[in-house]
Amino acid sequence: MFTEFAQYVLNGLVLGALVALPALGLTLIFSVQGFVNFSVAAQMTVGAYAAWFAGAHLGWSPVVMLLFAFVVPGMLGIATDRLALAPIRRQSGAHTALMLAVVSIALNLAIENALRFLFGSDLNSFDLPIERNLQVWGLSVGPQQLRNLVTALVIAVALAAFFSLTRWGKAMRAVADNTDLARLKGIEPRNLSNLATFIGMGLAGIGGSLLAIDTSVDPSTGSRLILIIFAASVLGGLTSLYGAVLGALIIGVAGEVAMIAMPPVYQSLTAFLAILFILLVKPTGLFAGTAGVRK
Amino acid sequence: MAAANTARAQSKKRNKGIVMSKFDRRDFLAGAAGAGSLAALWPRALLAQGTQPIRIGIVIPLTGATSQFGATMSAAAKIAVSDVNAAGGVAGRHIEVLIEDDQSNPEAAVRAARKLIDVDKVVSIGGSYASAVTSAIAPLCYDSKTVLFTSSGADSITKTPHNGYIFRTSPTVTLQGTRVGQYALELGAKKMFFLGPQTPFAQSYIDIISKLFKDAGGSGQGLIYEDKRASYRTEVDQALRTNPDIIVLGGYVPDTSVVLKDLYRAGFGGKKIGYSFGVNQVLADGVPHEVSEGTASLVPSASEDSTAYRTLIGKMGRSAIDSYSCQVYDHVVLTALALAQAAVTSPSGTAVRDAVRAISQDAKGQKVSDVAQGLKFIADKKPINYDGPSGPLEFAANGDVEGVFFRYEQVQKGKMTLLKVA
Repeated sequence: MFTEFAQYVLNGLVLGALVALPALGLTLIFSVQGFVNFSVAAQMTVGAYAAWFAGAHLGWSPVVMLLFAFVVPGMLGIATDRLALAPIRRQSGAHTALMLAVVSIALNLAIENALRFLFGSDLNSFDLPIERNLQVWGLSVGPQQLRNLVTALVIAVALAAFFSLTRWGKAMRAVADNTDLARLKGIEPRNLSNLATFIGMGLAGIGGSLLAIDTSVDPSTGSRLILIIFAASVLGGLTSLYGAVLGALIIGVAGEVAMIAMPPVYQSLTAFLAILFILLVKPTGLFAGTAGVRK
Repeated sequence: MAAANTARAQSKKRNKGIVMSKFDRRDFLAGAAGAGSLAALWPRALLAQGTQPIRIGIVIPLTGATSQFGATMSAAAKIAVSDVNAAGGVAGRHIEVLIEDDQSNPEAAVRAARKLIDVDKVVSIGGSYASAVTSAIAPLCYDSKTVLFTSSGADSITKTPHNGYIFRTSPTVTLQGTRVGQYALELGAKKMFFLGPQTPFAQSYIDIISKLFKDAGGSGQGLIYEDKRASYRTEVDQALRTNPDIIVLGGYVPDTSVVLKDLYRAGFGGKKIGYSFGVNQVLADGVPHEVSEGTASLVPSASEDSTAYRTLIGKMGRSAIDSYSCQVYDHVVLTALALAQAAVTSPSGTAVRDAVRAISQDAKGQKVSDVAQGLKFIADKKPINYDGPSGPLEFAANGDVEGVFFRYEQVQKGKMTLLKVA
């Protein structure tokens, strides 16, 4: 019974680590730009296809492949942001954030369909060997899962360093914590928005490529996860980067563990419940910065 | 497509008209209703003179989880149209198919069917594939007296009060489930576990196959999961805890590929068997060979020894095609032949419904596998019995097709290999 439980927790952590990267991206973009950019889902898929193309067609090594999966969605993110979202952001009004979210959903569909046009609807697997699970203390875990976990950790640490050590990183945190105060201190949030979009979408891309290495790539790879990514981000408070990671891990573990008591058909319910719970009980999220939800 | 665009352009023009003349809403509605009834009368008068094509709707998955046959289905439908039109059409009128993408999604399918029925006034809708999609659009069809030809399996579809407006050209779930269960037993399995997503037929599969196993002294269980997920590790763990010696895969291609990978990673050494919508060449191409190796699959078989089938694959320029695309071809041909047989001045779904059996299963009719020949016989008032590339097309009273064959296939080194047809 205990091993069973531990196995579910482990499965949940592995899934959570995958979700953490796009959730971080979503949170980062929300922190700096003040709206939920739902096109992270399609950007995950863009990253997955970029990595797949680099790996299976160009024969690049896994590390370069992941870098490619970061840069391509990052650049595309900036391009789509300038093209579709920036014009709306400029005419700020009461409904701007909502408009932006809606346009980002449309953007998500557009990118997904562009991918479908380019690569077709079929499944594509990476040209990587598939390995049997390792057995450790009665728990089974795949080598690729462990690599994904480590990759996610390394990236999270690198990000933490970026945010606490560099000027740009600190400026972003300042904006996330309190936009008005940051502006008073001479930080112009608009100048940070390209960088935030680049890193945010890049993170989504890496998340997507890790997911795709584990499963396979098709045009809807990313959109399958958008609900739990959003839930993780909301749970973490939408402005807290650490919150996004913890939120992702909690959602991942909760979803898997819930299967002990609940039919697997209702798996997504945990994400819905998490969002509902947070909105009702602590709308600022579990780990929001001191200023709480951005206004 | 062109017709749809014109319709859209017309409605746009109409909208513009409203803005400019500043009609009162009530006036406009009255006017629109008048225009609507006019529009309903108008084409009929025109149709009688043979100026307007007869429209047939096709709702197929070009995208989404069930899209693997979408492209060939669409090609087959187009070939059927050109075959009928090359033979002079139906009573001097050409036919036109309007192909809509259901996105493997019932909600999108309903929108597509609404448009086909309300705007395009199609006489029949063919193609519908996923059972969830068919279940969603079936009431729209029989309520509007539009014939629905479907390639879906869920038994519930022909149990609806459809008044004869539904014809199913694919074997039912009960039949498919029974065959898969029997084959699993033939393979020597004793403990079956079914893993599949929530679909209208998942629970039936579990019940049918488990019963077969219990009757044979074995055991059977199942788990229905949520599809479109990133991983099925926990589901696979739950399945393997029962120590099954065969796993029945009830999902479509995207989730089945992930489940198969998770089964491989977990070191499952038993047998795997699935259905053609989940285990097929698209799946075999999408996963590493060692993951799919040995997975068996049951595919409703097209009438592969027939002239109709060979002619169709020749026209498509392929060495073989799936049974579903053959069925879509037949959906169009059955509509055309039935309308020719009915010989009515205003083609309708009811005319199609009433004449389908006369042209497809008349024991005294001349066996025909070529639509041009069929149309000619009908013009000469000779009875025919059409056998298409998908099969002999004999329908039971409830609309289910009778007498279907299955291909038993197995993935061997990444290729679907035929074991037998039975």
